[in-house]
Amino acid sequence: MRKIPLGFLIISLLMLLFSCKEEEEAKWVTTPYIFDIPFAFPTKMNIPEDNPMTIEGVELGRYLFYDGRMSGRTHPDSLMSCGTCHIQANSFEAGRDHPIFQGGFVHGITGLQTPHVMLPLINLVWNQSGYGWNGFIHKNNPNTNLRNIEDFVRLAVLAEHEMNSDTTSVKQLFQRIEGYPELFFKAFGSSTITFTNIEKAIAQFVRTLVSANSKFDRYLVGQEQLSGPELNGFMLFTTEEGADCFHCHGGFGNPLFTTHLFYNNGKDTVFNDILDRFAVTSDPMDKGAYKAPTLRNIELTGPYMHDGRFATLDEVIDFYSHHVKWTEQIDPLMHHVLRGGVQLTPPQKEDLKAFIKTLRDDAFLTNPDFGRPDRFPDDK
Amino acid sequence: MVEHSINGLPVEFDKLIYENEAGNKFLLSEIQWFISDIRLHKTDGSFLLIGDDGGEFYVDTDIPASLSIKPAVEIEVGDYTGLSFTFGINDEKNKSHRFVNPPESFMFWPNYLGGGYHYLKLNGKWQNTSGQTEPFNFHLGIGQIYDSSAPKSQWADLNSCCKSDHCEGYTPDGKTLPITGFIQNFFEIEFLNTPISIVDGKTTEMVLEMKVENWFKNPHTYDHNIWGGSIMQQQEAMKIGCENGHDVFSLSPKAIK
Repeated sequence: MRKIPLGFLIISLLMLLFSCKEEEEAKWVTTPYIFDIPFAFPTKMNIPEDNPMTIEGVELGRYLFYDGRMSGRTHPDSLMSCGTCHIQANSFEAGRDHPIFQGGFVHGITGLQTPHVMLPLINLVWNQSGYGWNGFIHKNNPNTNLRNIEDFVRLAVLAEHEMNSDTTSVKQLFQRIEGYPELFFKAFGSSTITFTNIEKAIAQFVRTLVSANSKFDRYLVGQEQLSGPELNGFMLFTTEEGADCFHCHGGFGNPLFTTHLFYNNGKDTVFNDILDRFAVTSDPMDKGAYKAPTLRNIELTGPYMHDGRFATLDEVIDFYSHHVKWTEQIDPLMHHVLRGGVQLTPPQKEDLKAFIKTLRDDAFLTNPDFGRPDRFPDDK
Repeated sequence: MVEHSINGLPVEFDKLIYENEAGNKFLLSEIQWFISDIRLHKTDGSFLLIGDDGGEFYVDTDIPASLSIKPAVEIEVGDYTGLSFTFGINDEKNKSHRFVNPPESFMFWPNYLGGGYHYLKLNGKWQNTSGQTEPFNFHLGIGQIYDSSAPKSQWADLNSCCKSDHCEGYTPDGKTLPITGFIQNFFEIEFLNTPISIVDGKTTEMVLEMKVENWFKNPHTYDHNIWGGSIMQQQEAMKIGCENGHDVFSLSPKAIK
């Protein structure tokens, strides 16, 4: 019998494996996801270099976003996905009308409530200033595990007040679900599922959630006129001697309706929350400071403020009108503080609210591309 | 390099340690502003614009990288007689949506008040006559002309939150006079006798210093107790600021350490 040298055999096997991998990689082609940048929106987007947007990645991310097995479990009582709390019809917040999360206060699979109320998933691809109420996830974070939306996915899976799971269970579970390995291959060139690729896919989907078709957007491009009260509300919104919302919440020149920056807006005189902006910067002047959230679809995203202390927009407007409190940390932009607020009259409050409601984007809230898939990859 | 100083020393932010010409004790939290059309002047009277695409540069004390203004064009080797620039942005270029990306887009000036962008946001707090520390937004940009003769039926239904009697254009009953025009408040700064030599293979660095205390004096003494916490709708206050602005800046070669 002719002997084959062992070294030759190993080299041949390696070459065979290598050529198979090459063949597999050669078949992997993705389609870039192209953003159609809305009028006046930023052209610079926060997309990590190692997670370019692709049609295939977004498609996979949408399945994962809504698949309750992201909890790492399969029992019907133990399912939880991003979409469990982030409801499209409520601008990807739970909403005050949620049947389980009463009043819009969400809790995780263990029943533990989240430390803060939710922030909406809108136009996050243009957030350059940090994610979360205190911005602890930001692209310059020395901790490379806390830099972008991808990291939020992992935190949501691990957190006791969210999915309370572990990344290994999740990736192993999806590896076993029919259809997913193929989708991972299409998106990332490998059917071996890694949690990193799970993070990347969901982050890609979240970055597609663009809201830019509200009545105000149509007004901005001359397609629709605002009513008298709405226009008056817009004037109030956008003037210092009016309600002065625009410095923090944007407007005509900043249609994101947020700066994504952090302000102490005068809610409290004592700061006990260990997750305020101070927790990130260690600057004592940042005590009690939180992100100014976008006002797009804000009528649907109550309760309001980081702790959900206000149930309605009326309460929020009342607060900014009459109940702003002075502390050393008050942001200088709150220049009405010594009068308790901007002192709007009841008709002005109504007009301001009418304008804020023009930021509701029904096309976004019902866009089928953002909704729960009719079928999951393993559905027959 | 851009530096921000008070009384010759770098600004220490969020410390109530300063006093202006009017005797107001104050602190600063941030300074954000636009400088544009920076020109290097040549001996033959011509000049070279060092910016591109409009030549605006955004400066922000919270963004260290913005404190270093680098020319967008190659500067010819040679001797220059000085430098000049526009504080803010001129009327031709100061239009809404010129900047869509932050942080510049966050400087937008509402269309209702003239549009475009803030020239300056100088945010801080002063100790008012009651001894309370009150926020001020010393914001400069396009001013408004209000029609004081307009019949009440034509007044815009704005609001009456500004209670003090100095608020140009505001009335106690919650309506405001119609705006009939706008005033461009940008201004030019010139250092025409400041020789600058550009030498082949060497980096020339200059220091542009904003002496913050000068916004509040010479020729006018600016008193926060008079003008209050916000001035975007008070052209008289912005005019004072801009007229004081003539000696706010200094230019010098960067000292070699």
